[in-house]
Amino acid sequence: MCAVRAALTVTGMQTTHAHQDHGGAAVETEGLTKRFGDRIAVDGVNLVVPRGVAYGFLGHNGAGKTTLIRVLLGLTRASAGRASVLGLPVPAERARALARVGAIVEEPSFYAHLTGYENLKVAAAVRGPETRARIEPVLERVGLDKRSRDRVGTYSLGMRQRLGIARCLLSDPELLILDEPMNGLDPAGMLDVRRMIRALVQDEGRTVFVSSHLLDEVEKTCDVAAIIDGGRVIAQGSIEELVADEAGELVIECNDTVRALELLAGDSRVHDLRAEHGTLRMSLLARDQAGDINARLVTAGLVVTRLEPARRSLENRFLEMTTRLEVAA
Amino acid sequence: MTLDLTVAKQMTGGELLRLRKKRGTIALALAAVLVPLVIMTGYDVVKHASDSVHFGPAGGLNTFGRLLDLLGVFMGPVAAILIGAEAGAGDLAAGVFRDNVLTGRSRIALFLSRIPAAVAVTLTVVAITFAVGLACVFAFAGGLPTPGLSLILQSLGWLVIANSIVCVIAIGIASLTGSRTGTITALIGWELVLSPLVVQATSLGSFRRGLLDSVLLFLKPGPATGPPAIPMPVVVAIVVASLWLLVAAAAGAWRMQTRDA
Repeated sequence: MCAVRAALTVTGMQTTHAHQDHGGAAVETEGLTKRFGDRIAVDGVNLVVPRGVAYGFLGHNGAGKTTLIRVLLGLTRASAGRASVLGLPVPAERARALARVGAIVEEPSFYAHLTGYENLKVAAAVRGPETRARIEPVLERVGLDKRSRDRVGTYSLGMRQRLGIARCLLSDPELLILDEPMNGLDPAGMLDVRRMIRALVQDEGRTVFVSSHLLDEVEKTCDVAAIIDGGRVIAQGSIEELVADEAGELVIECNDTVRALELLAGDSRVHDLRAEHGTLRMSLLARDQAGDINARLVTAGLVVTRLEPARRSLENRFLEMTTRLEVAA
Repeated sequence: MTLDLTVAKQMTGGELLRLRKKRGTIALALAAVLVPLVIMTGYDVVKHASDSVHFGPAGGLNTFGRLLDLLGVFMGPVAAILIGAEAGAGDLAAGVFRDNVLTGRSRIALFLSRIPAAVAVTLTVVAITFAVGLACVFAFAGGLPTPGLSLILQSLGWLVIANSIVCVIAIGIASLTGSRTGTITALIGWELVLSPLVVQATSLGSFRRGLLDSVLLFLKPGPATGPPAIPMPVVVAIVVASLWLLVAAAAGAWRMQTRDA
């Protein structure tokens, strides 16, 4: 199966970060492969993560997301291929690259006996002298300033995730790599993290790489995404491109679905007509015929309340692609 | 270089913060040295009070020698092991090791920053107990001779060396194994049970010079108390102590460098 490589068209976002620019994408890999014995966890991955976007890295549990992140961060060596982070090759220039990266791999861990503030103080000590002054601002940034003197052992998972992001922000990173940041969060916690990621990208011009198996969250949070399955990237592009309706399907909602169905059943311009969840779904020979269909329904005395191209969710797209792969296998 | 030194100081400060806030470990380490001292001194005071003809005062030079045994050979090293094991494997146990590695900071630097922090905490615990013990030595001396300033300073130096070496060994072994409990069990078992037995096994002859306890007993200043010292050239003592220190530290640093984060 060839990897589907969609063109990246991300507009309206500019990186405003003040770090030294080494050029290139935030993350770039070419033929990246990681084997554990006979098992291939990451299989020839070609990835381009543009700067200044929220990038979703989508896949089932065990699809190879965390392994790829671990390779990018130099926690484990690739078996083949090459990778660069912020324009610097890794692992050759890992230390320089990581100085400008904040990352959470799997779940954020802390010393439970220390307070949130003290944990960041210990983390800042490892990161360098300039980071200490950033402790209070980043705690405020993630909304933990009022609980920063409490022991981390008393924090909820959502608070730990936010403290993890605060720790990432200590070194004022250009790139944040967050592995499953929504894991275990309640809806309010997810919303918090989602808003924070959007603000990091839109307000601060950072690049955020989010791995997740929660398709809905990636769709809501990210501008660009890649889908990984069985260690291979099977699609990559903007969210709009990934969910775009290739079949030209139309959704119509009106006051009498049964009558509308009867009316359009014999129309030669309409194909695959069906009623679904109180709406009509159909394919047209040409998109510009939607107006004629609307006119026909209105003329027949029906009240059309909604008429729009069908938009698949990322979830549908993901399931379609991975199911297709399973069938092909 | 200035920046490196600043970073090193900051990293040590971070380690120090995490260790001194580990109140359970600190309390246990303090109890390990203070409780035996209180029991030992209290027992001697009661004995002397009940039968002063047969039992001498609870202070004086001989008690000072036993204080050194307690702090340099038996329970001081236990405190050093507790603190060293926490320093060596605490970040792994908490899962913070990976985050530290993700900063891009050298793993050797991460390992080295543990040593001054853990040694500082260990020596604080030992110093507190030494101060209490020394007060007892003078307070309950009766008419017995007491240690002079020179002997007190020499003894302090010896305690610093003995406990620092054991602490670094514990850091090295804990970093090597990644297990606090395993390190504490193995090293305390060695320190309190196996090593004293081997030191006294005369059939082993000069091989016993290779034991850290033999070296520490040989270097111990003041009156001879506790297990007998095995004679050896000072150079041999220094080489043996250095080898214990370096081998354990190198093993810990190597594992730290190669450990999967």
